[in-house]
Amino acid sequence: MLVRLQAEQERLLAALAEVADEDALYQLQVAYLGKKGSITALSKELGRVSPDERKRLGAELNRAKAAITEALEGRREALLAEARARDLARVEDLTMPPRRPPFGTLHPLTIARRALIQTFRRMGFDVAEGPHVEHANYNFDALNFQPDHPARDMQDTFGVRDRRGAGDLVLRTHTSPVQIRAMLQRTPPVRIIAPGTVFRCDDDATHSPMFHQIEGLYVDRGVTMADLKATMIQFTAAFFGRALDIRLRPSYFPFVEPGAELDMQCPFCGRARGQTCSVCKGAGWIELGGSGMVHPAVFEAVGVDPEVYTGWAFGFGIDRMAMLMYQIPDLRQMFDGDIRFLQSFPG
Amino acid sequence: MRISWQWLTSLLDLPEAARPSAEGLAAILTSVGLEVDGIERVGEGVQAIIVGEIRGKEPHPRADRLTVVALFDGAETLQVVCGAQNLPPVGGKVAFAPVGARLPNGMEIGAREVRGVASNGMICSETELDIGTDDDGILILPESWPAGARLCDQVPGIVDAILEIGVTPNRPDALGHVGVARDVAVKLQCGLRLPELRAPEVPTEPSLVTIDAPARCGRYLGFVVDGVEVGPSPLWMRVRLHRLGLRAINNCVDITNFVLFEQGQPLHAFDRRRLAEGRVVVRMAGASEPFDALDGSKHELSADDLVIADASIPQALAGVMGGARSMVEAGTSELLLEVAWFQPSGIRASARRHALSSDSSYRFERGVDHGEGLDRAALRALQLLGELAGGTCRAKAEGRGEVPARPRIVLRLARVHHLLGMPVGPAEALRILQGLGVEVEHAEPVTPWTCVAPSHRPDLQREVDLIEELMRFHGLDDLPAEATVPSAPADERPDPRADLRDRLTDALREVGLHELVAYAFTHPDKLRPFLGPGGEAAIVHLQNPLRVPLSVMRTHLIPDLLDALEVNVARHSHPLRLFQVGRVYAWRSEVGEAGAIDPRRAADLEVIDALLPEEREEAAILLHGGEAEDARAAVGALVHALARLGYQPRVEPFAADARVAFLHPGVQARIGVRVDDPSAPVAWVGYAGELHPDALVGRELGGRGRAYVGVIDLGKLPPRPTPIASDRPRFPATSRDLSLEIPLGIAASAVVDALALAAAGLCADVTGDRPRLAGDGISPGIEVVEEYRGQGVAEGRRALLLRLHYRAEERTLTDAEVQELHQAIVASACGGLSRPDAEVRVR
Repeated sequence: MLVRLQAEQERLLAALAEVADEDALYQLQVAYLGKKGSITALSKELGRVSPDERKRLGAELNRAKAAITEALEGRREALLAEARARDLARVEDLTMPPRRPPFGTLHPLTIARRALIQTFRRMGFDVAEGPHVEHANYNFDALNFQPDHPARDMQDTFGVRDRRGAGDLVLRTHTSPVQIRAMLQRTPPVRIIAPGTVFRCDDDATHSPMFHQIEGLYVDRGVTMADLKATMIQFTAAFFGRALDIRLRPSYFPFVEPGAELDMQCPFCGRARGQTCSVCKGAGWIELGGSGMVHPAVFEAVGVDPEVYTGWAFGFGIDRMAMLMYQIPDLRQMFDGDIRFLQSFPG
Repeated sequence: MRISWQWLTSLLDLPEAARPSAEGLAAILTSVGLEVDGIERVGEGVQAIIVGEIRGKEPHPRADRLTVVALFDGAETLQVVCGAQNLPPVGGKVAFAPVGARLPNGMEIGAREVRGVASNGMICSETELDIGTDDDGILILPESWPAGARLCDQVPGIVDAILEIGVTPNRPDALGHVGVARDVAVKLQCGLRLPELRAPEVPTEPSLVTIDAPARCGRYLGFVVDGVEVGPSPLWMRVRLHRLGLRAINNCVDITNFVLFEQGQPLHAFDRRRLAEGRVVVRMAGASEPFDALDGSKHELSADDLVIADASIPQALAGVMGGARSMVEAGTSELLLEVAWFQPSGIRASARRHALSSDSSYRFERGVDHGEGLDRAALRALQLLGELAGGTCRAKAEGRGEVPARPRIVLRLARVHHLLGMPVGPAEALRILQGLGVEVEHAEPVTPWTCVAPSHRPDLQREVDLIEELMRFHGLDDLPAEATVPSAPADERPDPRADLRDRLTDALREVGLHELVAYAFTHPDKLRPFLGPGGEAAIVHLQNPLRVPLSVMRTHLIPDLLDALEVNVARHSHPLRLFQVGRVYAWRSEVGEAGAIDPRRAADLEVIDALLPEEREEAAILLHGGEAEDARAAVGALVHALARLGYQPRVEPFAADARVAFLHPGVQARIGVRVDDPSAPVAWVGYAGELHPDALVGRELGGRGRAYVGVIDLGKLPPRPTPIASDRPRFPATSRDLSLEIPLGIAASAVVDALALAAAGLCADVTGDRPRLAGDGISPGIEVVEEYRGQGVAEGRRALLLRLHYRAEERTLTDAEVQELHQAIVASACGGLSRPDAEVRVR
């Protein structure tokens, strides 16, 4: 029996050298130590020998089992080490084109509009919207554009072809009719911004028949032009990360009096180091838009007493802001849907 | 409007040295709201031009059209070759560019030979000097000018700077140099230096002027001027007009233009001999009365046009343009000079009606001075006609109609502070107002003041207008930045509609789509494939489109996406994944009547808005050209986006009679959402599929035809549900596969529904911890794994592999009980799905 045990042990060691993977190792383990394994079979024979013999053989058997187990474990570890070494020897070129899920993009106008809305919301402005097809009354008359006054020529207007009973309709030429709607629906204080699409009958490299504006309106007791200036400075600080100076220049818009052009200190100077700023052409100022104190005639049109309340309004172009932010050279690129343009704003 | 720096500064009562430079003037103008868009330097190089005297002329020996001139430059006589045919006789004076001069057009003058004859300098034309447009020969100067004198000393103001200013429509007074100078003088705190004028002492002949339309003509001054000799204007005036962009015509016409640009008041001179009875009648035109304008255009007048007629026919469209018949030209000797104020909106209507616009109508429609300025302009014109055209005023007449009253305005200085947030003191305020011509009554240091606005400032109507004037001249540079605190907080709640739009936009971007923003107007033909029966009537048409391709408001977003697709296909071959969120427009079928609605009343806003077209907000996607793109990808993008918003998306086939006509009939589905449990009703919010080939007709897609689209109507989306943390089952689920063979007409969604329904029925009244489908709030526990068509499956049928998941609450299930339930569900579902014409088999 001892001879057989020795033979089995030697056979195993020989077989072990041939084993190349975990599976074969397991097979071998089963073949020797398993329920029907050869060593197990030998240990079953122990019952048939004398007690003395059994004690001696039992000890031998246990030693053999331990040796076999150790050999198997040794081989297992060696196999693992080999596998690990093989695995670590693998080479993959990760500079090959990466596999990546495609990402979508937001339109630069959406990015700019959201950034503006977010900024003004933080400053306590509510967001209001209005229809694109608008009553001429709200687009002009209520905003103190007198009928048949040349001020109406300031904005080239798309009329909407007549429809029974609908009255005089236009595509809104500015977001200012939202001022009227907001003041009709709310009582002061009114503190809103109105971002939105507007339309003018104009089409060249710097004008698009459709563009986007953001309007601000603040009506309360004691609102002054000084407050407008402070608010716009606060806006630049929140939007551009640093307070920029604001310059007001007298101008004319029928729905404000006094009216002023709104200039902002150029936030982009220094973007191109050492060169003349390409945005403001070295002027140091950027024309932002129009502004002024709400005209008493506008207050009267919506039933607000101009002796009690004062207010300011401003408006500027979202498209222009986006063009400045992203150095977009031509307004028309924004609208033709070329994917190569759209993709450039991971936003 | 072009402003001559020379002309403007000459109107300021300032010593020469104190006059502002062109840049200084530009800064002043911009600061008072007359924004300067640009400064153009003119006359550079003219300093080198001198007066030359012709001393002799010889024909060029080798060229017929050239002359060899002996020209005296004040010091010596030079030989100059000249090609002009209008050389004056010996003794005549010409503009001479000596060797070394550089002309305004950049030409350098050198000594050279012209066909073998030496030429030392050049005799110049108006155009070469850029002081006129006459290039038909050389410029001939008055014989009295001394040879050798510099041209710029003979014609002061020839070297100038032209400022282009943007005059806002409320400022008709700034459409002349005197009006602009008035603002500058107030800013510089100096006076004006205006030409001294004298009224001619001539008899009044009332019959000269008759006003039959007093509502449309407030004042009409007529003067008879005779002895006029029509000829060219002096050089200084021709240069001045040229600088302002006007063509010199003859002295009479030039004078009217000159006065227009000086005083801002349009004038018109008629050849009086061509006027029937030599008089004018200001009247409304007869309907269809013909009128020939002096620019050669012919018009049929309307009864709403104001005309200046003679005793029989219209001789001018009032305030817009004179007539061809009575225009002043060579041979005219007697004028009737018109200086008038017309009602502005009437002029504007006529100019628009006849598409005739002139420097005159531009000013009349904004409102010229009906007071003193009108008289001053008349006297200035008479003075110049006397000096430059030999005319003498013989008679005058004035007709009067209605002019606007000069408003009396109460001004409170405290209100200035109240509105601007900075004070303007009484002394400064008074100086500004009086400088502008506002009469201030009882100008005590304490306001209110009663102010009377001048007739040249029709824009000054109420207190704020005066406050604006104070702001303009006080300036905004020292305006403090002082924020006030709102007396009540703003509404902080985000608008749920805007929130939904933003989130959907983000979700569509997240599935790898690129956002498009396209014009909201389009070509009607592009909408046609998308319109249902009667859809044409709902299209909103523009009255005055830029061009037909942009003439109607879009009713669908897909045409925009197809436009972008065409653009991209034409330019490159990248696959396209686009989306757009925007409004679509359609007239409502039910239209009320505006009737007696008052737009000023908040309560009527809703009624009034019901008259507007409906503006629905939609999201649309388009997939094209990518390897992985198909209609299921389109459905997937929308379903993903909706799930991302917290909805439970649902995809079903359309009923046969409810299909979307512009989608492929066999490749389309409707998409809905549920907000609560799977049994809640579905809100159908959109659809997706492959575009019908008919909808692509006329589109240039380079042979790469199929496009997959999807649309969600944002207005149909229910409010977003609040997410609820889902249960985490403690015991694992086990699954059973099911392969069904079904006809193509049965949708996977129907199979899943049938299985879910069967499971619900079988598990409904079972008590205890029995196995059930392992569904949760999102999925019913039934998974569609794949479909198979082809060999082994009959034509028109397919095999569908499904996986059903089972679970119990508090224990692990046994195979036997799962198998039992599974078989029961399958049997029941197949029974439910099978119809006489549709066999369902378990494979």
